[in-house]
Amino acid sequence: MQDDEAMDQLLKTAFAAEAPRLSPAFDARVLRRVRPRHLAPLGRLVIAIYVVIAAAGAVWLMRDLPLESIALAATIGLPVAAGVGAYGRRLAVDG
Amino acid sequence: MGAESSSYTDRTDEWLVRRCSESDDEGAFAELVRRYSNPVFRLAVSILGQEFAPEAEDVAQDVMLRVHHALRTFRGEAKFASWIYRIAFNHALNVKARARYRAPHVSDEVLTTEPSDDRGPDDRLEADRRQKALLASVHELPEVYQSALRLHYWLGASMSEIAALLDAPENTVKSYLHRARRLLQAMLAERGYDAR
Repeated sequence: MQDDEAMDQLLKTAFAAEAPRLSPAFDARVLRRVRPRHLAPLGRLVIAIYVVIAAAGAVWLMRDLPLESIALAATIGLPVAAGVGAYGRRLAVDG
Repeated sequence: MGAESSSYTDRTDEWLVRRCSESDDEGAFAELVRRYSNPVFRLAVSILGQEFAPEAEDVAQDVMLRVHHALRTFRGEAKFASWIYRIAFNHALNVKARARYRAPHVSDEVLTTEPSDDRGPDDRLEADRRQKALLASVHELPEVYQSALRLHYWLGASMSEIAALLDAPENTVKSYLHRARRLLQAMLAERGYDAR
């Protein structure tokens, strides 16, 4: 019993440092992370203009290429573009 | 806004969980975060220990995000509190296991207070050595004993709070603490120190 009390005292001394605390902004940070993000109207307009210009540019650049080359470029380029887009969206949500 | 938030504070966990899973109610989830962020953080700190305490806030955040994703699958078979604490306990254990491969952030010594100056240098040295041996011995205890010890002695948690966090009856928590002290006495004796 005496040993138990001595150990109790020893532990109180050993664990006497101040305990860490949760930062005050924690709740707000968590809620920001779970909130779905939507692009502002101006952002959507910029993306739409970019897509139209990029598509027109690609068509113009490939106008003289054989059909097989266009198909090959589309086969590689479209999945890559989709992947990069998805990665970008994930970064935006996680960020 | 005030009336709206007070309508959440009066609600049970079960009601809030149902609101989150059925209608993605952000206010209901905010109330769950308000209720559980601090207990989850304290549980994480108690498992990670002093060396890895800086990771505890990340663990608490991960737990909240996991809970948010998993609320739709929560069937209510267990109490929400038990469920979230179980997620936190397991996640903190995984983080601790990974963190052990890295160098510790801080030494065990930061936990202790400065030795009092009314003792002689030999006594102080002896007390410091015993303190280090004690903290090293704590690391060798079963995880649940370590967690109970840190919650009780370091974080100042009440028996009822420890019981809730570890999902165990209060008598079991008292028994964890008693057995932990007995084991520590034996470990200290093995290292050539007396607890008194």
